[in-house]
Amino acid sequence: MTSPTAQRAKPLYLLAAFGSGCLLTCAVFFNGEAGRFGGAMFSSWQAHGVGTVVAALLLAFIWRRERKAAAEARETYGKPPLWAYLAGILGGITVILTSWSVNSPLALAGTLALGLAGQFTLSLIADYWGLLGLPKRRLDMRDTASFVLIAAGSLLIILFGVGSA
Amino acid sequence: MIGPVIFAFVIGLLIILSRQINGRLSLSTTPLISSFWNHLVGLIFITLLGLAIGDLIPPNLAEIPLWVYLGGALGVFFVASGSWLITRIGAVNTTLLLISGQMVSGVVLDFARGVPITLWACVLGIVLIFAGMALTQRKG
Repeated sequence: MTSPTAQRAKPLYLLAAFGSGCLLTCAVFFNGEAGRFGGAMFSSWQAHGVGTVVAALLLAFIWRRERKAAAEARETYGKPPLWAYLAGILGGITVILTSWSVNSPLALAGTLALGLAGQFTLSLIADYWGLLGLPKRRLDMRDTASFVLIAAGSLLIILFGVGSA
Repeated sequence: MIGPVIFAFVIGLLIILSRQINGRLSLSTTPLISSFWNHLVGLIFITLLGLAIGDLIPPNLAEIPLWVYLGGALGVFFVASGSWLITRIGAVNTTLLLISGQMVSGVVLDFARGVPITLWACVLGIVLIFAGMALTQRKG
């Protein structure tokens, strides 16, 4: 299997990722409201159910294009390993751990801050070794500086900016 | 206290691990197909768990406003874009930029809803984040 090479983020990627982060804020807000009405299990269940239906409808709409793209991808990277289908289970576990953690003395801010620490740690490890068949990428000085700035800004917002006022 | 601390840290690890795995599936398929499997497998897992421990269908189901179900639809795009990004710009850049968007829009959402925020910390945090984002860009 060949690995693609990762590159510095172009403006298109920056906009896409930033926009996707905004999307996540909205999704978390909606799912939080679903949880407020029906509990954490229901919230996660409905989000995955609606997501499955929406993804299936979208796929049906553009199936010709998707099938062609998937065939080409398989040609280049081979059959996906079986474990690659199992990420959904981790999403389910995440929901349960989150509802425990948010209701512990850590509350939302502590959960978010430690969650960010976990995300940063594993991202660094994943890029360094190219975990699970994805590209390796070593950080240079610029990457390190942007890492420190974004991590500091995020923690400042979580711990002192929102929620605690 | 050490229990919740570990849980909260593990949540972060799981988020990255799942993006990495979805990204791998998307390499051999497409980001949208990968997002479909992520949601279907998650749905099966939570359904089984719910059947075992209950709490799946709340008694006040009829009172829940329909707009809350939009979250699941947005999740499809979020997961697909994560796979698309991670295979192109790597895990660190994907994580940094997604979190930047999440933090800045989170402050804006709280502000718009009239949730009290500490202005200096939010503004300084957003300035630091934008500076970090600018640094992720190619030179020149």
